Amino acid sequence: MTTRAEFLDRIRAQVRRAPGRFQAASARRPRHAAAEAETIRRELAERWPETLEAFRREFEGVAGVFHRVASVDMVPAVVAGIARERQARELVTWHPTALGADLAPALGARGLDVHSMPAAAPAGSAERERLRTIAARADLGLTGVDLAVAETGTLVLVSGVGRPRSTSLLPPCHVAVFDRTALVESLRQVGVFLEAWHGDGRAPAGGASINFITGPSRTADIELTLTRGVHGPKEVHAIFVEQPIRG
Amino acid sequence: MSDAELATPFRQRAGSAMKDAFLQEALTIATTKFIGLRREAFASFPEGEALRDQARAIKEATLQRLDQHLETLIGNVERLGGHVHYAETSAEARSIIVDIAKRTGARMAVKSKSMATEEIHLNEALEAAGVTPVETDLGEYIIQLAHERPSHIIAPAIHKTKGQVAELFTRELKRPAEPDPEALTLIARGELREKFLQADLGISGANFAVAETGTVVLVTNEGNGRMVTSMPRVHVAVMGVEKVVPSFTDLMVFLAILAKSATGQKLSVYTSMVQGPRRAGELEGPDEFHLVLLDGGRIAQIDGPLREALSCLRCGACLNVCPVYRQIGGHAYGYTYPGPIGILLTAMLEGAPAVRDLAHASSLCGACADACPVRIDIPHMLIELRREVDDRKIAPWSERVAFKLLAGLLRRPWLYRLAARAGRIAQTPFARSGRIGRLPLVLGEWTRTRDLPPVAPRTFQERWATDRDLRA
Repeated sequence: MTTRAEFLDRIRAQVRRAPGRFQAASARRPRHAAAEAETIRRELAERWPETLEAFRREFEGVAGVFHRVASVDMVPAVVAGIARERQARELVTWHPTALGADLAPALGARGLDVHSMPAAAPAGSAERERLRTIAARADLGLTGVDLAVAETGTLVLVSGVGRPRSTSLLPPCHVAVFDRTALVESLRQVGVFLEAWHGDGRAPAGGASINFITGPSRTADIELTLTRGVHGPKEVHAIFVEQPIRG
Repeated sequence: MSDAELATPFRQRAGSAMKDAFLQEALTIATTKFIGLRREAFASFPEGEALRDQARAIKEATLQRLDQHLETLIGNVERLGGHVHYAETSAEARSIIVDIAKRTGARMAVKSKSMATEEIHLNEALEAAGVTPVETDLGEYIIQLAHERPSHIIAPAIHKTKGQVAELFTRELKRPAEPDPEALTLIARGELREKFLQADLGISGANFAVAETGTVVLVTNEGNGRMVTSMPRVHVAVMGVEKVVPSFTDLMVFLAILAKSATGQKLSVYTSMVQGPRRAGELEGPDEFHLVLLDGGRIAQIDGPLREALSCLRCGACLNVCPVYRQIGGHAYGYTYPGPIGILLTAMLEGAPAVRDLAHASSLCGACADACPVRIDIPHMLIELRREVDDRKIAPWSERVAFKLLAGLLRRPWLYRLAARAGRIAQTPFARSGRIGRLPLVLGEWTRTRDLPPVAPRTFQERWATDRDLRA
């Protein structure tokens, strides 16, 4: 077996022998990523309507379905509408603390079978297995959004406590709820946020997985025919809430 | 590809590909579509050109300190609770992964699309060890059911019709399937969904790894990358050492150009970033995370003639624009990586003698270098490879003799003039309407696939000597 030392030594020897032959430069990283991220947020607070419009255009361009409501208590009606059209009943949702609001009672009142993901780590693997089975069976998955990227129509979701990866992956229909605090303009700005989350450890959640979601799951592997919903959701909805969700 | 298939000479493999009418049509449709999508994506992205330069400069800067960036990556993966393994050869990589499978008692492994695991021929090794490997990218799944190898880096099954896929599903999955892409996709979703939830082991490649944060990055459209890294209790990522980038800021530069070059999307549907095993309080994610760092001939090229090829992002753009790939498709190349970049990667992984024929499977038109998101000078390296192949005297003897003779002529103007005159006489029986289509004996090798221009009635030298107008 090759050891780490042997492996790295061989690389080191090669690197020493090969001085630069081409133009070389790493990207310039933000010096104070957290502060820069804060500045981006503050500036965007002023011009969020344009950013939202750009996001909507791109999101619809990748076959996402965009909704807009005035306040968070109007979200359950939209979700129930989506469910009704699909004759869907079972819904899994991130925990209220991860979502920023407790929508379960209102969703339940509208006839949905709601399964909230737990806020604390499940004790054993049997319980984890049970919850995963529910997610795999559910028709709808309801999540929050950490960043909504206007340049590409992308939703960025960080995994963590109360916000499992499967909610946006296993059900055939993913519904994501967000407000202006999640909006960013560009992939470059996403880079600043990723650096900031890493730098001061103030990530939105403590999970090991960050996912960029740009529309529904798709493939063109059979005769280049575009087909949606191959492994992930066939539909992705984004509900924009005008009043900040967390009040 | 099996050894038996490789025993067929490249010319013969290419020849049969060119006679396959369906393959020809599929290749034309697919490559033309990809070219158009890529062009549109960059046309509406003015900053694209500058980002391509920047991406290349980042790759180069990373290579110049590859040892340090890898040390940082290793340190961070371990800090997050992951394990790092080091494989000099394909065999070593296979045995590392088989050992992990055995130790964890894995019976089935789900795999997301990964050229690195194709390269090390992992599936055969897993099967031999009693672990069932399941490819989960739809194209790869089709290829696996058909016992074939991918024919394009990003569209592995473009050589199959929906009719062929329907027949394949009916036969292999023992359920009737209609030749409709939507219906076939739905069948595959059902089959594979069960496997994602049952499998003990998830195996992926890595499009990038961020050193600074210990993050492995996977880009997929189907979502299988997310499944493989989240559902099984063990995740193994296999990655060539050159895939490391320093920071998240660097990563975003690559993400901005990768999908545009591959499929014309602004971003692929899913970019999944994995940072070690499941954390405290998380519901999903593996108990164990392993990163296998693969050499396989790469390290020797840091200071080698193929260094530039270490910047490759595996987007497939150079395949689509290559006049040779467009004619013969991926299988004719005979190795894991097809197309212009594939020739270089094959030379890197298997050694230059492996590409003695393939080094010539290029018109050197330069379309690949133009299409490459990081502007790898593929034609230049192909010429270097041809030179190396010739130095080792593995080109056919007739070709070597012919070029020796030509070199002798070009060095002696009087002999060259004489040869032109002799040629003018000798060509009379062969020249037809301004071209020589067929030559006898060993010279026929040259004209078998191309015309030879005849010596002109008056050569340029002769005109230069007498025509005043020409010199005025």
